[in-house]
Amino acid sequence: MIKVENLSKKFGDITAVENISFDIGKSEIFGFLGPNGAGKTTTIRMLATIISPNSGNITIDGRDSKENGEYIRSIIGILTESPGMYEKISAYDNLDYFSRFYGLSEEGRRKNIEKYLKMFDLWDRKDDPAGTYSKGMKQKLALSRALIHEPKILFLDEPTAGLDPESAYMVRNFIEGLKKEKITVFLCTHNLAEASSLSDRVCIIKRKIIKIATLDELQNSDKNTRVEITFNDKAERYMGLMNKINELKNIELDGNKAIVTIEKPETSNPKVIKKIMDDGAQILYFNEVKATLEEIYLSLIKDEESR
Amino acid sequence: MKKAVIIFKKEIKEIIKNKTIWLPVIIVVIIFSIAMPMAFILGSGTILEDVDTVNFINKVFGSVDDPLKVLIGFILKQLLILLLLIPAMVPSLIAPSSVLMEKENKTLEPLLATPIKTSELLIGKTLTALVPSFITSTICFIILTIVVDIIAFIKLGYLPLPTLEWVIVAFILSPLLSFIITMISIIVSSKSTDIKSAQGIGSMVILPIYLVIGLQLAGIFLINITYLLIGCLILLAVCPLVLKLAVRVFDRENIVTNWKIKT
Repeated sequence: MIKVENLSKKFGDITAVENISFDIGKSEIFGFLGPNGAGKTTTIRMLATIISPNSGNITIDGRDSKENGEYIRSIIGILTESPGMYEKISAYDNLDYFSRFYGLSEEGRRKNIEKYLKMFDLWDRKDDPAGTYSKGMKQKLALSRALIHEPKILFLDEPTAGLDPESAYMVRNFIEGLKKEKITVFLCTHNLAEASSLSDRVCIIKRKIIKIATLDELQNSDKNTRVEITFNDKAERYMGLMNKINELKNIELDGNKAIVTIEKPETSNPKVIKKIMDDGAQILYFNEVKATLEEIYLSLIKDEESR
Repeated sequence: MKKAVIIFKKEIKEIIKNKTIWLPVIIVVIIFSIAMPMAFILGSGTILEDVDTVNFINKVFGSVDDPLKVLIGFILKQLLILLLLIPAMVPSLIAPSSVLMEKENKTLEPLLATPIKTSELLIGKTLTALVPSFITSTICFIILTIVVDIIAFIKLGYLPLPTLEWVIVAFILSPLLSFIITMISIIVSSKSTDIKSAQGIGSMVILPIYLVIGLQLAGIFLINITYLLIGCLILLAVCPLVLKLAVRVFDRENIVTNWKIKT
Protein backbone atom coordinates (compact mmCIF):
# COMPACT_ATOMS: atom_id res chain seq x y z
CA MET A 1 0.00 0.00 0.00
CA ILE A 2 2.89 2.33 0.84
CA LYS A 3 6.34 1.92 -0.67
CA VAL A 4 9.13 4.24 0.37
CA GLU A 5 12.53 4.13 -1.32
CA ASN A 6 15.62 6.02 -0.21
CA LEU A 7 13.67 8.98 1.06
CA SER A 8 15.60 12.00 2.33
CA LYS A 9 14.55 15.43 3.47
CA LYS A 10 16.65 18.42 4.44
CA PHE A 11 15.59 21.77 5.87
CA GLY A 12 18.48 24.08 5.06
CA ASP A 13 21.56 22.41 6.48
CA ILE A 14 19.60 20.15 8.79
CA THR A 15 18.86 16.63 7.62
CA ALA A 16 15.48 15.62 9.02
CA VAL A 17 15.21 12.24 7.31
CA GLU A 18 18.06 10.34 5.67
CA ASN A 19 17.69 7.64 3.11
CA ILE A 20 14.81 5.70 4.61
CA SER A 21 13.05 2.81 2.86
CA PHE A 22 10.14 0.60 3.89
CA ASP A 23 6.99 -1.08 2.61
CA ILE A 24 3.64 -1.17 4.35
CA GLY A 25 1.03 -3.70 3.34
CA LYS A 26 -2.72 -3.27 3.02
CA SER A 27 -4.54 -3.14 6.38
CA GLU A 28 -1.24 -3.30 8.24
CA ILE A 29 -0.75 -1.22 11.39
CA PHE A 30 2.75 0.16 11.12
CA GLY A 31 4.17 1.66 14.31
CA PHE A 32 6.60 4.48 13.64
CA LEU A 33 8.70 5.21 16.69
CA GLY A 34 11.52 7.55 17.50
CA PRO A 35 12.60 10.30 19.86
CA ASN A 36 11.58 13.94 19.37
CA GLY A 37 13.19 15.36 16.25
CA ALA A 38 13.78 11.90 14.79
CA GLY A 39 11.94 12.81 11.58
CA LYS A 40 8.58 11.14 12.28
CA THR A 41 6.37 14.15 11.51
CA THR A 42 8.51 15.04 8.49
CA THR A 43 8.03 11.51 7.16
CA ILE A 44 4.26 11.68 7.68
CA ARG A 45 4.16 15.04 5.89
CA MET A 46 6.08 13.62 2.95
CA LEU A 47 3.87 10.54 2.77
CA ALA A 48 0.78 12.74 2.95
CA THR A 49 2.24 14.84 0.08
CA ILE A 50 2.11 17.95 2.23
CA ILE A 51 5.83 18.49 1.68
CA SER A 52 8.14 17.06 -0.96
CA PRO A 53 11.23 14.95 -0.33
CA ASN A 54 14.64 16.11 -1.54
CA SER A 55 15.29 12.66 -2.92
CA GLY A 56 13.75 9.22 -3.01
CA ASN A 57 10.40 7.87 -4.10
CA ILE A 58 7.05 7.34 -2.46
CA THR A 59 4.42 5.09 -4.02
CA ILE A 60 1.00 5.01 -2.42
CA ASP A 61 -1.80 2.78 -3.67
CA GLY A 62 0.36 2.08 -6.72
CA ARG A 63 0.80 5.74 -7.64
CA ASP A 64 3.90 7.87 -7.51
CA SER A 65 3.49 10.72 -5.02
CA LYS A 66 5.18 13.32 -7.21
CA GLU A 67 2.51 13.30 -9.89
CA ASN A 68 -0.47 12.14 -7.86
CA GLY A 69 -0.52 14.36 -4.79
CA GLU A 70 -4.17 15.24 -5.12
CA TYR A 71 -5.22 11.59 -5.57
CA ILE A 72 -3.08 10.47 -2.63
CA ARG A 73 -4.53 13.16 -0.38
CA SER A 74 -8.01 12.01 -1.39
CA ILE A 75 -7.42 8.47 -0.11
CA ILE A 76 -5.59 9.28 3.08
CA GLY A 77 -6.74 10.64 6.41
CA ILE A 78 -4.38 12.40 8.74
CA LEU A 79 -4.45 13.18 12.42
CA THR A 80 -1.86 15.89 12.84
CA GLU A 81 0.22 16.53 15.97
CA SER A 82 -2.15 19.28 17.04
CA PRO A 83 -5.91 18.74 16.43
CA GLY A 84 -6.27 22.00 14.42
CA MET A 85 -9.95 22.87 14.51
CA TYR A 86 -11.79 26.09 13.73
CA GLU A 87 -12.51 27.10 17.30
CA LYS A 88 -15.42 29.42 16.63
CA ILE A 89 -17.51 27.09 14.52
CA SER A 90 -19.36 24.01 15.71
CA ALA A 91 -17.92 20.51 15.67
CA TYR A 92 -20.51 19.54 13.06
CA ASP A 93 -19.62 22.47 10.80
CA ASN A 94 -15.90 21.74 11.19
CA LEU A 95 -16.45 18.20 9.90
CA ASP A 96 -18.87 19.36 7.23
CA TYR A 97 -16.34 21.90 5.97
CA PHE A 98 -13.46 19.43 5.70
CA SER A 99 -15.63 16.69 4.19
CA ARG A 100 -16.61 18.99 1.31
CA PHE A 101 -13.04 18.90 -0.01
CA TYR A 102 -13.43 15.18 -0.66
CA GLY A 103 -16.46 15.71 -2.85
CA LEU A 104 -18.87 13.86 -0.55
CA SER A 105 -22.56 14.34 -1.32
CA GLU A 106 -24.69 16.20 1.20
CA GLU A 107 -26.27 12.92 2.30
CA GLY A 108 -22.88 11.20 2.53
CA ARG A 109 -21.49 14.05 4.60
CA ARG A 110 -24.45 14.04 6.97
CA LYS A 111 -24.29 10.26 7.39
CA ASN A 112 -20.54 10.14 8.04
CA ILE A 113 -20.53 13.11 10.39
CA GLU A 114 -23.26 11.49 12.46
CA LYS A 115 -21.47 8.12 12.38
CA TYR A 116 -18.15 9.41 13.67
CA LEU A 117 -19.48 11.97 16.13
CA LYS A 118 -21.63 9.25 17.68
CA MET A 119 -18.73 6.77 17.62
CA PHE A 120 -16.56 9.20 19.59
CA ASP A 121 -19.36 10.31 21.96
CA LEU A 122 -19.45 13.83 20.60
CA TRP A 123 -22.90 13.81 19.00
CA ASP A 124 -24.63 15.47 21.96
CA ARG A 125 -22.28 18.43 21.64
CA LYS A 126 -22.20 18.59 17.86
CA ASP A 127 -23.50 22.17 17.78
CA ASP A 128 -21.02 23.53 20.32
CA PRO A 129 -18.08 25.53 18.99
CA ALA A 130 -14.95 23.38 18.81
CA GLY A 131 -13.20 25.97 20.99
CA THR A 132 -15.35 24.92 23.95
CA TYR A 133 -14.18 21.29 23.68
CA SER A 134 -11.63 19.79 26.06
CA LYS A 135 -8.25 18.68 24.68
CA GLY A 136 -9.41 15.07 24.56
CA MET A 137 -12.66 15.97 22.79
CA LYS A 138 -10.73 18.00 20.21
CA GLN A 139 -8.47 15.03 19.63
CA LYS A 140 -11.51 12.79 19.05
CA LEU A 141 -13.00 15.42 16.75
CA ALA A 142 -9.73 15.55 14.80
CA LEU A 143 -9.81 11.77 14.53
CA SER A 144 -13.37 11.99 13.20
CA ARG A 145 -12.15 14.50 10.63
CA ALA A 146 -9.35 12.17 9.55
CA LEU A 147 -11.94 9.43 8.98
CA ILE A 148 -14.80 11.47 7.55
CA HIS A 149 -14.16 10.46 3.93
CA GLU A 150 -13.41 6.82 4.87
CA PRO A 151 -9.77 6.81 3.78
CA LYS A 152 -7.77 3.78 2.70
CA ILE A 153 -4.75 4.91 4.70
CA LEU A 154 -4.74 6.65 8.04
CA PHE A 155 -1.76 8.59 9.37
CA LEU A 156 -2.00 9.04 13.10
CA ASP A 157 0.45 11.33 14.86
CA GLU A 158 0.15 10.71 18.61
CA PRO A 159 -3.53 9.68 18.50
CA THR A 160 -3.95 9.23 22.25
CA ALA A 161 -1.89 12.21 23.40
CA GLY A 162 -3.89 14.29 25.83
CA LEU A 163 -6.69 11.77 26.15
CA ASP A 164 -7.95 10.51 29.50
CA PRO A 165 -7.38 6.76 30.07
CA GLU A 166 -10.96 5.87 29.10
CA SER A 167 -10.84 7.80 25.83
CA ALA A 168 -7.34 6.51 25.07
CA TYR A 169 -8.61 2.97 25.55
CA MET A 170 -11.53 3.68 23.24
CA VAL A 171 -9.25 5.14 20.56
CA ARG A 172 -6.88 2.18 20.80
CA ASN A 173 -9.76 -0.24 20.39
CA PHE A 174 -10.93 1.78 17.45
CA ILE A 175 -7.49 1.67 15.79
CA GLU A 176 -7.38 -2.08 16.34
CA GLY A 177 -10.79 -2.33 14.67
CA LEU A 178 -9.53 -0.52 11.58
CA LYS A 179 -7.79 -3.72 10.54
CA LYS A 180 -11.18 -5.30 9.86
CA GLU A 181 -12.10 -2.31 7.72
CA LYS A 182 -8.95 -2.99 5.63
CA ILE A 183 -7.52 0.42 6.49
CA THR A 184 -3.74 0.77 6.56
CA VAL A 185 -2.60 2.64 9.65
CA PHE A 186 0.65 4.55 9.99
CA LEU A 187 0.90 5.03 13.71
CA CYS A 188 3.36 7.54 15.06
CA THR A 189 3.55 7.45 18.83
CA HIS A 190 5.73 7.90 21.89
CA ASN A 191 3.51 5.49 23.78
CA LEU A 192 5.48 2.29 23.38
CA ALA A 193 2.92 0.12 25.15
CA GLU A 194 0.35 1.37 22.65
CA ALA A 195 2.68 0.74 19.70
CA SER A 196 3.43 -2.70 21.06
CA SER A 197 -0.22 -3.70 21.46
CA LEU A 198 -1.43 -2.23 18.15
CA SER A 199 1.34 -2.55 15.60
CA ASP A 200 1.89 -5.46 13.26
CA ARG A 201 5.40 -4.15 12.72
CA VAL A 202 7.34 -1.30 14.21
CA CYS A 203 9.91 0.95 12.66
CA ILE A 204 12.37 2.69 14.96
CA ILE A 205 13.80 5.82 13.43
CA LYS A 206 16.29 8.42 14.42
CA ARG A 207 16.79 10.37 11.21
CA LYS A 208 17.74 7.02 9.65
CA ILE A 209 15.90 3.77 10.16
CA ILE A 210 17.36 1.84 13.07
CA LYS A 211 15.16 -1.24 12.86
CA ILE A 212 11.97 -2.52 11.22
CA ALA A 213 10.52 -5.72 12.62
CA THR A 214 7.57 -7.35 14.33
CA LEU A 215 7.59 -7.29 18.11
CA ASP A 216 8.41 -11.03 18.16
CA GLU A 217 11.35 -10.52 15.85
CA LEU A 218 12.62 -7.68 18.01
CA GLN A 219 12.31 -9.75 21.16
CA ASN A 220 14.00 -12.78 19.62
CA SER A 221 16.79 -10.75 18.11
CA ASP A 222 18.06 -9.95 21.59
CA LYS A 223 21.07 -12.24 22.19
CA ASN A 224 20.69 -11.88 25.96
CA THR A 225 17.73 -13.35 27.79
CA ARG A 226 16.09 -11.89 30.85
CA VAL A 227 15.15 -14.59 33.32
CA GLU A 228 13.04 -14.41 36.44
CA ILE A 229 14.23 -16.78 39.19
CA THR A 230 11.78 -17.33 42.04
CA PHE A 231 13.32 -18.67 45.26
CA ASN A 232 11.53 -20.17 48.22
CA ASP A 233 13.01 -17.42 50.33
CA LYS A 234 14.05 -13.77 50.03
CA ALA A 235 16.20 -13.44 46.89
CA GLU A 236 18.46 -11.04 48.78
CA ARG A 237 19.87 -14.05 50.69
CA TYR A 238 21.28 -15.43 47.45
CA MET A 239 22.77 -12.18 46.15
CA GLY A 240 26.30 -13.15 47.14
CA LEU A 241 25.89 -16.47 45.39
CA MET A 242 24.48 -14.93 42.21
CA ASN A 243 27.24 -12.34 42.08
CA LYS A 244 29.75 -15.19 41.89
CA ILE A 245 28.06 -16.77 38.85
CA ASN A 246 29.71 -15.24 35.75
CA GLU A 247 26.80 -15.98 33.43
CA LEU A 248 24.45 -13.72 35.42
CA LYS A 249 24.34 -9.99 34.70
CA ASN A 250 22.17 -7.02 35.70
CA ILE A 251 20.69 -8.63 38.80
CA GLU A 252 17.54 -6.97 40.11
CA LEU A 253 15.78 -8.16 43.23
CA ASP A 254 12.08 -8.10 43.98
CA GLY A 255 11.02 -10.02 47.09
CA ASN A 256 11.56 -13.69 46.42
CA LYS A 257 12.40 -12.97 42.81
CA ALA A 258 15.63 -12.11 41.07
CA ILE A 259 15.48 -10.82 37.50
CA VAL A 260 18.74 -11.43 35.73
CA THR A 261 20.24 -11.27 32.26
CA ILE A 262 21.83 -14.48 31.04
CA GLU A 263 24.14 -14.56 28.06
CA LYS A 264 23.75 -17.52 25.69
CA PRO A 265 20.80 -18.98 27.66
CA GLU A 266 20.72 -22.31 25.80
CA THR A 267 24.11 -23.28 27.24
CA SER A 268 24.18 -21.12 30.37
CA ASN A 269 20.77 -21.88 31.90
CA PRO A 270 21.52 -25.51 33.02
CA LYS A 271 24.84 -24.37 34.51
CA VAL A 272 23.25 -21.49 36.38
CA ILE A 273 20.48 -23.66 37.79
CA LYS A 274 22.99 -26.29 38.90
CA LYS A 275 25.26 -23.74 40.59
CA ILE A 276 22.38 -22.22 42.51
CA MET A 277 20.95 -25.58 43.56
CA ASP A 278 24.41 -26.86 44.57
CA ASP A 279 24.70 -23.99 46.97
CA GLY A 280 21.53 -25.08 48.72
CA ALA A 281 19.09 -22.58 47.29
CA GLN A 282 15.59 -23.73 46.34
CA ILE A 283 14.37 -22.54 42.95
CA LEU A 284 10.59 -22.57 42.67
CA TYR A 285 10.33 -21.10 39.15
CA PHE A 286 12.78 -20.25 36.38
CA ASN A 287 11.00 -18.21 33.66
CA GLU A 288 12.10 -16.35 30.60
CA VAL A 289 11.03 -12.68 30.67
CA LYS A 290 10.44 -11.22 27.21
CA ALA A 291 11.93 -7.77 26.78
CA THR A 292 9.28 -5.08 26.40
CA LEU A 293 9.23 -2.86 23.36
CA GLU A 294 10.26 -0.03 25.64
CA GLU A 295 13.40 -1.91 26.73
CA ILE A 296 14.25 -2.85 23.16
CA TYR A 297 13.57 0.68 21.92
CA LEU A 298 15.74 2.29 24.60
CA SER A 299 18.52 -0.17 23.96
CA LEU A 300 18.43 0.41 20.18
CA ILE A 301 18.35 4.19 20.58
CA LYS A 302 21.23 4.01 23.06
CA ASP A 303 23.24 1.86 20.65
CA GLU A 304 22.55 4.33 17.85
CA GLU A 305 23.63 7.28 19.99
CA SER A 306 26.86 5.57 20.99
CA ARG A 307 27.84 5.02 17.36
CA MET B 1 -12.26 26.38 -8.29
CA LYS B 2 -15.03 24.47 -6.50
CA LYS B 3 -12.77 24.01 -3.49
CA ALA B 4 -11.89 27.72 -3.49
CA VAL B 5 -15.62 28.44 -3.30
CA ILE B 6 -15.95 26.06 -0.31
CA ILE B 7 -13.30 28.13 1.51
CA PHE B 8 -14.91 31.38 0.44
CA LYS B 9 -18.39 30.37 1.66
CA LYS B 10 -17.13 29.22 5.06
CA GLU B 11 -15.04 32.33 5.57
CA ILE B 12 -17.87 34.67 4.65
CA LYS B 13 -20.04 32.98 7.29
CA GLU B 14 -17.30 33.64 9.84
CA ILE B 15 -16.88 37.27 8.76
CA ILE B 16 -20.61 37.85 9.21
CA LYS B 17 -20.24 36.59 12.78
CA ASN B 18 -17.15 38.72 13.43
CA LYS B 19 -18.28 42.26 14.21
CA THR B 20 -14.71 43.48 14.73
CA ILE B 21 -14.44 43.23 10.95
CA TRP B 22 -17.75 44.55 9.69
CA LEU B 23 -18.50 47.18 12.34
CA PRO B 24 -15.62 49.51 11.37
CA VAL B 25 -16.57 49.01 7.71
CA ILE B 26 -20.18 50.07 8.34
CA ILE B 27 -19.01 53.10 10.32
CA VAL B 28 -16.65 54.17 7.53
CA VAL B 29 -19.36 53.63 4.90
CA ILE B 30 -21.80 55.81 6.87
CA ILE B 31 -19.20 58.53 7.38
CA PHE B 32 -17.85 58.62 3.82
CA SER B 33 -20.96 58.00 1.78
CA ILE B 34 -23.66 59.67 3.89
CA ALA B 35 -22.40 61.99 6.63
CA MET B 36 -19.51 63.67 4.80
CA PRO B 37 -21.28 64.42 1.49
CA MET B 38 -24.34 65.67 3.36
CA ALA B 39 -22.24 67.94 5.53
CA PHE B 40 -20.18 69.22 2.59
CA ILE B 41 -23.08 69.99 0.28
CA LEU B 42 -25.40 71.36 2.95
CA GLY B 43 -22.61 73.52 4.28
CA SER B 44 -21.17 74.55 0.89
CA GLY B 45 -23.02 77.89 0.86
CA THR B 46 -21.57 78.84 4.25
CA ILE B 47 -18.08 77.70 3.20
CA LEU B 48 -18.17 80.21 0.34
CA GLU B 49 -18.61 83.02 2.87
CA ASP B 50 -15.09 82.23 4.05
CA VAL B 51 -12.51 84.48 2.33
CA ASP B 52 -9.74 81.86 2.50
CA THR B 53 -11.93 79.32 0.68
CA VAL B 54 -12.76 81.82 -2.09
CA ASN B 55 -9.06 82.68 -2.39
CA PHE B 56 -8.24 78.96 -2.61
CA ILE B 57 -10.81 78.46 -5.43
CA ASN B 58 -9.42 81.46 -7.30
CA LYS B 59 -5.88 80.14 -6.85
CA VAL B 60 -6.65 76.63 -8.10
CA PHE B 61 -9.37 77.27 -10.71
CA GLY B 62 -8.85 80.94 -11.63
CA SER B 63 -11.91 83.10 -12.03
CA VAL B 64 -15.08 80.99 -12.27
CA ASP B 65 -18.72 81.80 -13.05
CA ASP B 66 -20.29 79.57 -10.43
CA PRO B 67 -17.92 79.10 -7.47
CA LEU B 68 -20.47 76.91 -5.64
CA LYS B 69 -20.57 74.33 -8.46
CA VAL B 70 -16.79 74.42 -8.68
CA LEU B 71 -16.49 73.97 -4.94
CA ILE B 72 -18.89 71.00 -4.95
CA GLY B 73 -17.01 69.47 -7.88
CA PHE B 74 -13.78 69.91 -5.96
CA ILE B 75 -15.24 68.40 -2.77
CA LEU B 76 -16.57 65.44 -4.76
CA LYS B 77 -13.06 64.83 -6.12
CA GLN B 78 -11.82 64.62 -2.52
CA LEU B 79 -14.66 62.29 -1.63
CA LEU B 80 -13.92 60.20 -4.67
CA ILE B 81 -10.38 59.59 -3.44
CA LEU B 82 -11.52 59.23 0.15
CA LEU B 83 -13.87 56.49 -0.98
CA LEU B 84 -10.85 54.51 -2.16
CA LEU B 85 -10.20 53.95 1.52
CA ILE B 86 -13.08 51.44 1.48
CA PRO B 87 -11.59 49.01 -1.09
CA ALA B 88 -8.27 49.51 0.66
CA MET B 89 -9.57 49.07 4.17
CA VAL B 90 -11.88 46.05 3.76
CA PRO B 91 -9.25 43.60 2.45
CA SER B 92 -6.67 44.86 4.93
CA LEU B 93 -9.10 43.92 7.70
CA ILE B 94 -10.33 40.61 6.24
CA ALA B 95 -7.26 39.00 4.65
CA PRO B 96 -5.01 39.06 7.74
CA SER B 97 -7.86 37.82 9.89
CA SER B 98 -8.51 34.99 7.43
CA VAL B 99 -4.88 33.87 7.19
CA LEU B 100 -3.97 34.40 10.86
CA MET B 101 -7.12 32.53 11.93
CA GLU B 102 -5.78 29.45 10.13
CA LYS B 103 -2.43 29.88 11.86
CA GLU B 104 -3.99 30.39 15.29
CA ASN B 105 -6.27 27.38 14.95
CA LYS B 106 -3.44 25.30 13.40
CA THR B 107 -5.81 24.27 10.64
CA LEU B 108 -3.42 24.82 7.74
CA GLU B 109 -1.83 21.39 7.93
CA PRO B 110 -5.12 19.45 8.08
CA LEU B 111 -6.42 21.67 5.29
CA LEU B 112 -3.36 21.03 3.12
CA ALA B 113 -3.75 17.32 3.76
CA THR B 114 -7.08 17.38 1.90
CA PRO B 115 -7.09 17.11 -1.91
CA ILE B 116 -6.89 20.89 -2.26
CA LYS B 117 -4.35 22.70 -4.43
CA THR B 118 -2.47 25.60 -2.88
CA SER B 119 -3.74 27.76 -5.74
CA GLU B 120 -7.32 26.92 -4.68
CA LEU B 121 -6.47 27.89 -1.12
CA LEU B 122 -5.02 31.18 -2.32
CA ILE B 123 -8.01 31.87 -4.57
CA GLY B 124 -10.39 31.06 -1.69
CA LYS B 125 -8.59 33.46 0.64
CA THR B 126 -8.42 36.13 -2.06
CA LEU B 127 -12.13 35.88 -2.84
CA THR B 128 -12.88 36.14 0.88
CA ALA B 129 -11.26 39.56 1.00
CA LEU B 130 -12.03 40.70 -2.53
CA VAL B 131 -15.76 40.01 -2.84
CA PRO B 132 -16.83 41.83 0.35
CA SER B 133 -14.52 44.65 -0.61
CA PHE B 134 -16.06 44.98 -4.08
CA ILE B 135 -19.61 44.71 -2.74
CA THR B 136 -18.99 47.24 0.05
CA SER B 137 -17.24 49.68 -2.29
CA THR B 138 -20.00 49.44 -4.90
CA ILE B 139 -22.71 49.93 -2.25
CA CYS B 140 -20.74 52.85 -0.88
CA PHE B 141 -20.40 54.48 -4.32
CA ILE B 142 -24.11 53.96 -5.02
CA ILE B 143 -25.18 55.37 -1.63
CA LEU B 144 -22.88 58.35 -2.09
CA THR B 145 -24.26 59.01 -5.58
CA ILE B 146 -27.85 58.85 -4.36
CA VAL B 147 -27.16 61.03 -1.30
CA VAL B 148 -25.17 63.62 -3.27
CA ASP B 149 -27.71 63.78 -6.12
CA ILE B 150 -30.73 64.07 -3.83
CA ILE B 151 -29.21 66.84 -1.71
CA ALA B 152 -27.64 68.64 -4.66
CA PHE B 153 -30.90 68.48 -6.63
CA ILE B 154 -32.95 69.85 -3.74
CA LYS B 155 -30.44 72.54 -2.83
CA LEU B 156 -28.89 73.44 -6.17
CA GLY B 157 -31.18 71.93 -8.80
CA TYR B 158 -28.67 69.66 -10.55
CA LEU B 159 -27.29 66.10 -10.36
CA PRO B 160 -23.50 66.17 -9.99
CA LEU B 161 -23.06 62.36 -10.10
CA PRO B 162 -22.16 60.00 -11.68
CA THR B 163 -19.29 61.37 -13.73
CA LEU B 164 -16.81 59.47 -15.89
CA GLU B 165 -14.18 59.90 -13.16
CA TRP B 166 -16.69 58.36 -10.79
CA VAL B 167 -17.16 55.30 -13.02
CA ILE B 168 -13.39 54.80 -13.41
CA VAL B 169 -12.78 55.02 -9.67
CA ALA B 170 -15.73 52.79 -8.74
CA PHE B 171 -15.34 50.05 -11.33
CA ILE B 172 -11.66 50.00 -12.34
CA LEU B 173 -9.45 51.69 -9.77
CA SER B 174 -11.29 50.40 -6.73
CA PRO B 175 -11.25 46.65 -7.68
CA LEU B 176 -7.58 46.90 -8.74
CA LEU B 177 -6.70 48.52 -5.45
CA SER B 178 -8.66 45.87 -3.55
CA PHE B 179 -6.80 43.11 -5.33
CA ILE B 180 -3.38 44.61 -4.65
CA ILE B 181 -4.13 45.24 -0.99
CA THR B 182 -5.56 41.73 -0.61
CA MET B 183 -2.36 40.23 -2.01
CA ILE B 184 -0.14 42.47 0.14
CA SER B 185 -2.21 41.63 3.23
CA ILE B 186 -1.89 37.91 2.51
CA ILE B 187 1.88 38.20 2.04
CA VAL B 188 2.25 40.25 5.22
CA SER B 189 -0.04 37.88 7.17
CA SER B 190 2.01 34.85 6.19
CA LYS B 191 4.99 36.43 7.95
CA SER B 192 3.05 37.92 10.88
CA THR B 193 2.47 36.28 14.19
CA ASP B 194 -0.63 38.21 15.25
CA ILE B 195 -3.66 39.75 13.56
CA LYS B 196 -3.16 43.32 14.79
CA SER B 197 0.39 43.66 13.46
CA ALA B 198 -0.69 42.12 10.14
CA GLN B 199 -3.61 44.54 9.85
CA GLY B 200 -1.32 47.41 10.87
CA ILE B 201 1.33 46.65 8.28
CA GLY B 202 -1.32 45.87 5.65
CA SER B 203 -3.08 49.15 6.26
CA MET B 204 0.17 51.09 5.62
CA VAL B 205 -0.50 50.64 1.92
CA ILE B 206 -3.40 53.05 2.38
CA LEU B 207 -0.91 55.88 2.91
CA PRO B 208 -0.59 56.78 -0.83
CA ILE B 209 -4.32 57.53 -0.83
CA TYR B 210 -3.81 60.11 1.93
CA LEU B 211 -0.94 61.54 -0.10
CA VAL B 212 -3.22 62.10 -3.12
CA ILE B 213 -5.84 63.75 -0.89
CA GLY B 214 -3.17 65.95 0.68
CA LEU B 215 -1.81 67.02 -2.73
CA GLN B 216 -5.32 67.87 -3.91
CA LEU B 217 -6.09 69.91 -0.80
CA ALA B 218 -2.79 71.76 -1.19
CA GLY B 219 -3.83 72.67 -4.70
CA ILE B 220 -0.74 71.01 -6.16
CA PHE B 221 -2.57 68.30 -8.01
CA LEU B 222 -6.13 67.70 -9.09
CA ILE B 223 -7.53 64.34 -10.12
CA ASN B 224 -8.79 64.13 -13.69
CA ILE B 225 -9.50 61.36 -16.20
CA THR B 226 -5.89 61.23 -17.43
CA TYR B 227 -4.44 60.90 -13.95
CA LEU B 228 -7.00 58.28 -13.05
CA LEU B 229 -6.20 56.23 -16.15
CA ILE B 230 -2.48 56.50 -15.43
CA GLY B 231 -3.25 55.35 -11.88
CA CYS B 232 -5.19 52.37 -13.27
CA LEU B 233 -2.29 51.42 -15.54
CA ILE B 234 0.19 51.60 -12.65
CA LEU B 235 -2.04 49.44 -10.46
CA LEU B 236 -2.57 47.02 -13.34
CA ALA B 237 1.19 46.65 -13.67
CA VAL B 238 1.56 46.05 -9.93
CA CYS B 239 -1.13 43.31 -9.91
CA PRO B 240 0.95 40.50 -11.47
CA LEU B 241 3.91 41.36 -9.24
CA VAL B 242 1.95 41.03 -6.00
CA LEU B 243 0.19 37.94 -7.34
CA LYS B 244 3.54 36.32 -8.10
CA LEU B 245 4.78 37.10 -4.60
CA ALA B 246 1.60 35.76 -3.01
CA VAL B 247 1.84 32.54 -5.03
CA ARG B 248 5.41 32.12 -3.81
CA VAL B 249 4.28 32.64 -0.22
CA PHE B 250 1.46 30.13 -0.73
CA ASP B 251 3.84 27.26 -1.32
CA ARG B 252 2.63 24.11 0.48
CA GLU B 253 5.99 23.44 2.14
CA ASN B 254 6.50 27.07 3.09
CA ILE B 255 3.07 27.18 4.75
CA VAL B 256 3.66 24.03 6.81
CA THR B 257 7.23 24.72 7.87
CA ASN B 258 7.55 28.51 8.01
CA TRP B 259 4.14 29.97 8.85
CA LYS B 260 4.34 30.41 12.60
CA ILE B 261 2.16 32.03 15.21
CA LYS B 262 2.87 33.35 18.71
CA THR B 263 2.08 30.63 21.24
